[in-house]
Amino acid sequence: MKKIMLSCEKATELIEKKIHFKLSLKEKVQLAMHLALCKPCSNYKKQSYLIEKTVPNIEFKEIAKEDLKPLKEEIIKKL
Amino acid sequence: MREINLTEWVNEYTDDMYSWAYFKVSDSEIAKDLVQDTFLAAAEKISSFKGKSSPKTWLFSILNFKIIDHYREKVKKPYNTDSDSLSTYFDENGEWRQDKRPQDLHDNDGDLMNDEDFQMILKKCLELLPEKWNTCVKLKYLLGKSGADICNQMDISKNNYWQIIHRAKLSLRECIESKWNRD
Repeated sequence: MKKIMLSCEKATELIEKKIHFKLSLKEKVQLAMHLALCKPCSNYKKQSYLIEKTVPNIEFKEIAKEDLKPLKEEIIKKL
Repeated sequence: MREINLTEWVNEYTDDMYSWAYFKVSDSEIAKDLVQDTFLAAAEKISSFKGKSSPKTWLFSILNFKIIDHYREKVKKPYNTDSDSLSTYFDENGEWRQDKRPQDLHDNDGDLMNDEDFQMILKKCLELLPEKWNTCVKLKYLLGKSGADICNQMDISKNNYWQIIHRAKLSLRECIESKWNRD
């Protein structure tokens, strides 16, 4: 059984691989079997997908009001 | 064709270009350097500007190359993918260490992705990531690149790419879980 079952380390790696690339059939079956039996990895998967869904919602724009006049002058001088 | 006046362009487009660069690299000094490099590059190849696109589009396409280059440089720095960081989370059999097991966040309604506090925590945790992981994560989400695109542009193998993402995720989710449960 140990041989067929993925380790948690491998299973979580496949969860990430699945998001970005395709899994082989064998990998799919192995992962599904592992997730059916492993609660922590199921939780990992939920959290990982939640992160994927939440990152695009984050507002990264926090531009400090900068005075760009010195920059403009410097660029013009160098041109 | 109207005569090209780069000085005019600098005055007109620097603000927008700076905002864009800042949004992509989150660092004001780097953003300024990128804008400056863009104008210097533009001056060099001004003859290739045919006026088919607007000056703004042309300048932004150069700026985007500069941004990608900036990230490429960062990823090229030596990076250790041995199992050190994984052994923080998994024992020698690859099983979760007792205190590292992911918990259920009880997001049964799927609302957390829209929760402002949760987003804030995720943002903080992203900033705490080691730079190399941070770069890959940003490329993926800010520039909207696919995994395969990022690999091509960064000259990294697919294997290396999702190993980086895997480690980043392990660290991110732990950070989020500890902050979320504490609040």
